[in-house]
Amino acid sequence: MAGVSPSRNHPVSRGRLCARGWSAHEAPAWGQRLDSPRIRRGGVLETVSWEEALAEAAARLSALLAAGKPVGVIGSPRATNEENYLAVRLARGALSSGNLDLCSGTAYSAVADALQPAGTLDDVASSESLAILEGDLATSHPQAAAAVLTAVHSGARLITIGAARTQMARLAVAHLQATPGREEEVLARLVAAVPCERADDAPTEAGGNWRASRLEAGGLAEGDVDRAARWLAEARRAAFLIPADGRLGEGAGGVASALAALAAATGHLGRPGSAVVPLAARANLRGARDVGVRPDAWPGGARLGDPMAADRLGGEWGRPPSAREGSRAAQLPAAVAGLVVVAEDLAATLLDGAAAAATLGALEFLLVLDAFATPTAALAHVSLPIASLAETEGTVTPLDGRHQAVRACVAPPGRARAGWRVLADLGGALGLPTGFDTVAGVTAEIARAVPPGEPAPGEGLAQPLAEATAEAAHERRKRSTPSPPPADGAARFPFRLALADGFDWGRDVLVAFSPTLCRDHLALRKMYPRGAVEMSREDAESLGVRQGWTVRVCSTGGEAALGVMVRPDLMQGVLRIPFAFREPAAPLLAGATSADVRVERA
Amino acid sequence: MEAMPARTIARTKVDAWISRLLEDAEVVAPVAAEGGDVLYRPVTVPQDVLWEFDNSLQPPKEYVLPQTEPLLAVRAGDHRVSVSALYDLSRRVLFNVRSCDASGIAFLAHISAADLPDPHVLHRLAHTTIVTLACCSPCRDGFCVCSGSGPFLTTGFDVQLVDLGECLLAEVGSAKGRALLDRASDLFREPTAAEREQRQRAEEKALGEFGEQTCHFASAMRRVSTGRVAEALWEAMSPWCLECGGCNHVCPTCYCFSVKDRAEEAGWTRCRLWDSCQLAAFTMEASGHNPRLRRADRIKRRFFHKVSAQYYQRDGMVGCVGCGRCVQVCLGTTHMPAVVAAIRKGEWHG
Repeated sequence: MAGVSPSRNHPVSRGRLCARGWSAHEAPAWGQRLDSPRIRRGGVLETVSWEEALAEAAARLSALLAAGKPVGVIGSPRATNEENYLAVRLARGALSSGNLDLCSGTAYSAVADALQPAGTLDDVASSESLAILEGDLATSHPQAAAAVLTAVHSGARLITIGAARTQMARLAVAHLQATPGREEEVLARLVAAVPCERADDAPTEAGGNWRASRLEAGGLAEGDVDRAARWLAEARRAAFLIPADGRLGEGAGGVASALAALAAATGHLGRPGSAVVPLAARANLRGARDVGVRPDAWPGGARLGDPMAADRLGGEWGRPPSAREGSRAAQLPAAVAGLVVVAEDLAATLLDGAAAAATLGALEFLLVLDAFATPTAALAHVSLPIASLAETEGTVTPLDGRHQAVRACVAPPGRARAGWRVLADLGGALGLPTGFDTVAGVTAEIARAVPPGEPAPGEGLAQPLAEATAEAAHERRKRSTPSPPPADGAARFPFRLALADGFDWGRDVLVAFSPTLCRDHLALRKMYPRGAVEMSREDAESLGVRQGWTVRVCSTGGEAALGVMVRPDLMQGVLRIPFAFREPAAPLLAGATSADVRVERA
Repeated sequence: MEAMPARTIARTKVDAWISRLLEDAEVVAPVAAEGGDVLYRPVTVPQDVLWEFDNSLQPPKEYVLPQTEPLLAVRAGDHRVSVSALYDLSRRVLFNVRSCDASGIAFLAHISAADLPDPHVLHRLAHTTIVTLACCSPCRDGFCVCSGSGPFLTTGFDVQLVDLGECLLAEVGSAKGRALLDRASDLFREPTAAEREQRQRAEEKALGEFGEQTCHFASAMRRVSTGRVAEALWEAMSPWCLECGGCNHVCPTCYCFSVKDRAEEAGWTRCRLWDSCQLAAFTMEASGHNPRLRRADRIKRRFFHKVSAQYYQRDGMVGCVGCGRCVQVCLGTTHMPAVVAAIRKGEWHG
């Protein structure tokens, strides 16, 4: 595989790729690949035949089931819909398990469950007004950022809400500064400022409450909020974008609800041409979730135990699907005796990656299917080599919900096979139907198994709308703080510390194995071997520190010595930890994604 | 202007000619790919060659400078290490190349022969014959007239084909081109005066259809080269670039690369990979220092390289062939026509 050629006629990319797209061939071509099935014997992974490996995997899983021990399955946004669906079938069909999740699933669910994704990037590009909960869209989702640029180029009004004056914020007509953890309050103020002329679209009974609420959200000029609300309400088409990758922390659900309320109050919820877009960290996250890689629902989001879904799935699988609700990815490895991992590296993706790696090592049985030699694959008892996305067939689902076909451009290396084939064979060895001649058979089964239709936009949102008042947001924030701040909290812990983002591309195989893409991340780790904390230039000056110097950061949970990364675009009073450096900062966060801290020069 | 030596081939004999070419070379031509895209790919039958097509989004530059190119094989064994150069010596005909792309290849040939000659590119070029298809009407995003790289060429090709309907006029641009036509001399004949006249009219008609020129390089060049572009202009542009590197990849005159060793069982293969000066890491040094840390500096550098007088003098042509691909591929809005207009006006409007 030597290169990438964009396709002008592709409905999603239209011939324009981001940097990761232009280097998409590099990881498969340059990365350390799994090319043979292997079984761990005497502590070493030995090369074996496919028959032996599949038989061993089936035997080990069956033994755990027979002994009544729980088994789990981790799917992946790096896998196709067919691979993920067959992983779901394995878990709920063969392994009687609801312990089934994506490592990035919790973060995405928190946002996507609170609002109904609607609209495409084309809708975003033709919006008249846009509101973005800004992480750093230009870096996290260049294609979405391209749609935003197209809209702004055509005169659209962009409103950004966030802690840093990022690239998108520099293009905004209004940047509403928000301390991490207080985005809901900014959104509530926007809702309250929506002009009365929109009374026919906004629920009237709550309208009065919203008019009356005001909160000290600090740093927000009234004029900006009023103008922003008016622009959103006046637009015939508007777009609302929100990251769904964990960077909004524990309050993500509340923020998402508040954004949905803003979309409703400005008349855009359910309006054709307007868009509400949760932005997952990685490509096929939505697809994986839609086909059922989640512990709390069946494929298509059907309720666990729903009789019609039970009939549908039972008909396809030849046995009733497990209606168990299982553990989320972060707790999964500790909750099971056996685990099947498809194309994922838990330590790189989970918030507490180190704990995950340790737990994986202690499992009775770990089965890994992957194209790449990840640290997770190195711990496997049985490892099965599968094709990368460039070498396989199937479908993936971009953020707007369309299905996109994937075709192989080369054969996978060595004896690696298509992942869907391996999962179908494994399912077959455990008693599931095996009639798939081609991947099209799996795709067709997905179409039958996933219920048609989706909830109408706006359905089920009456409650969140009523709760989207500033007072409610304030109450929620108080309730969600892990420990009450000390009486002299503001003075002792004057800074707000939060994660800067929710995903570490530097440790994802698609970037780490790409010579072109890995450079920035390698350099960052080289420059900050003991971790880093982002701070504004003003804060660095008042602390008397410079780029690269060390500071001691303390919270009620603990302390850490971290290198200083000066971010001229970051607001004062806020410190951020890049997800790549979450481990050194773990004592400060104590399991949460934000904390109040104090800082001093070390 | 004196007419170039030329021969005529009847439309009905063109497929036979291509079959003849296929006998002793790889023939790379525009073909219809999946989904309606046009790609330059090796053909196995003449019928696959496209004659009416929107220019491919990917230029044929990859046949001169591949996206991933093995350069050296390093083999270790016993008590020796051997290093051998890997050259692509296959005979190739690049067929139905547009004028802009041929100009781009001529540019790369000039760059590759200057200073320290690049043997990989030069070997490949030595074995490549370029047959262009002159553009009888402007393409949608192209502005080749602004950089002297189309719609018809006077240099930079081995054979230039002009479509006259019932026949093609094949103009000879080099000894290699003459040799190519001589090998199929039974399929060609002398052009008539009417055919030459028709060719002239075709060029005039094409030039006339360009309308308002979209990219005034001369005035942009003067400003860029005399320090009359404010720093603030590049800063204003930088939020409109999404640092995808697409402009570099699809540009027929871009050649920035990085080098990486690929480990293999018997040793290593040192490869050259396309890179992009717009990516932050391109100039990052081992110390962590980056002389082009700010995106504004990277954008400035790109357009300085393409448009300034010193490079024009060094390279013999402006560093842009007006193919319009950057307009199509840019994820943001910082493509050549937009930037040149901003340089001339001193303002950026996003």
